[in-house]
Amino acid sequence: MELSITTTRSGPLRRISALAFVLACLVSVNVLAKETPEQKAERIDEKAAAREAAEKEKLLQVFVSEPYLELSTGPGRGYPVFHVIEREASVDVLFRRTDWFKVRDEQGVEGWARARDMRRTVLADGSPFIFNLGDRAGFTTHDWELGIGGGDYGGANLISAFGAYSLTDNMKVEAHVSQYLGNFSNGWKAEVGINHVLFPEWRWSPFLQLGTGVVYVEPAATIILPDDRTDQTAYVGAGMRFYLTRRFYLRADYRWHTVFTSRDDNQELEEWKVQIACFF
Amino acid sequence: MESSNRLLLLAVLLIGASLATGCASRRALEQQQTEEQAAAEEAAEEADSTPPRVIEPNVVRRKIKTPKIDNENWEIGAGAGFLSIEDFGTNQTYAAQLTYHVTEDFFFRGDLGQSTAGRTSFETLGGNIELLTGDERRFTYYSLSLGYNFLPGEVFLGRKTAMNSGFYVLAGIGSVDFGGDDHLTLNFGAGFRVLPTDWLAIHIAVQDRVFDSDLLGETKVTNNIEMLLSATVFF
Repeated sequence: MELSITTTRSGPLRRISALAFVLACLVSVNVLAKETPEQKAERIDEKAAAREAAEKEKLLQVFVSEPYLELSTGPGRGYPVFHVIEREASVDVLFRRTDWFKVRDEQGVEGWARARDMRRTVLADGSPFIFNLGDRAGFTTHDWELGIGGGDYGGANLISAFGAYSLTDNMKVEAHVSQYLGNFSNGWKAEVGINHVLFPEWRWSPFLQLGTGVVYVEPAATIILPDDRTDQTAYVGAGMRFYLTRRFYLRADYRWHTVFTSRDDNQELEEWKVQIACFF
Repeated sequence: MESSNRLLLLAVLLIGASLATGCASRRALEQQQTEEQAAAEEAAEEADSTPPRVIEPNVVRRKIKTPKIDNENWEIGAGAGFLSIEDFGTNQTYAAQLTYHVTEDFFFRGDLGQSTAGRTSFETLGGNIELLTGDERRFTYYSLSLGYNFLPGEVFLGRKTAMNSGFYVLAGIGSVDFGGDDHLTLNFGAGFRVLPTDWLAIHIAVQDRVFDSDLLGETKVTNNIEMLLSATVFF
């Protein structure tokens, strides 16, 4: 028998209901503003029902092992501390937003606890509550990356966004979507590739990359050129990552593209870009 | 007589031999016994160092799974507002936005929106002149921005309700498709966000989208200021 002290709330269902609630809120903003006593009673009933539902759902429980745990009114350093949970008391972890955890104590008081403080709580079996923090160690080992930036693609301005998934600390699969805006043509390109980070633990960390994709070319309106076209492209390149702070790093790279055009010869293009990215 | 003497001698020899072997085997037995005793003593010593097992434990150890915490760093939503397109009047705009909160201070945000340009004063005064076709009047934009939260606070509605709020500034790059061409666009702006619940946010934001345009003869920098009211959901 495998016991678990946690079960998560059903994510997708919650999101759908959240979206539905937003729509309902938008429609009923005026109605809510002037609620009658009956409506108020109904609302209180709803609250009680929600509390019962929350009791049924099993959440991760952690125990305070420091002298106390402070709860703030909001997920930010500016928000005031309004409640303190003493040593040995437990809290239920509702969810996490950036470096803050929304928790509920045994009396039902809900508030935001700092990730740094939550790192010092323990699980039911006495083992430490471990989760990832956005720090230098996270720069070496993480799952996902996300970034935006700009640069130059064969003389055209480039706007680009990317997402990457780490297979290992060194090897990442990444997808880039970019738009380029030039004097003679505009277009889009989407690429998928492998990125090899040579020394993931270094602050200045070089990488090599290799991939393929498609490029959509739309000649500028004022120039008479062949019709819009979509070509396959492949690239090889290298770059540098630089850890900034917290969850951020800068990435600059160079790519050598070969575009497999329908003409006799392939087109070769150079791409330079700088992106700001985060990992999580 | 001689034979009886021989028999006696043989008997003595036999008894002697049997006694000798018996003693040897006894000695071996004794030695074995002392070895066993020593081993037992050692075992006893060992047993002394570990606590004696009174009851054989028959409890399955609980395996505690590493908890999966619900992360709510993404924010998606839509809104409506006004966009002032330089030289083309102010018109309604509709936009969608997707935000990823990296830390409590910084976030990445993508905006996608559309508006339709009105008529320039030149077109209005000049009578039957159309600078742009219907399709070219559509102003479609997207932008990728980095934002910074500042001045976090609370908004109080009456005596009992307090909502978290905050200002933010953001800047980024993107593209505008207008007048039959795509333009590289820089955007910057500021906004105010109120959170009635933990997962719902209402935004009011103003952004300027700046790009080079040559629609009216010469290339110039155009400023297109947008005001947007939007609702977003954290997930």
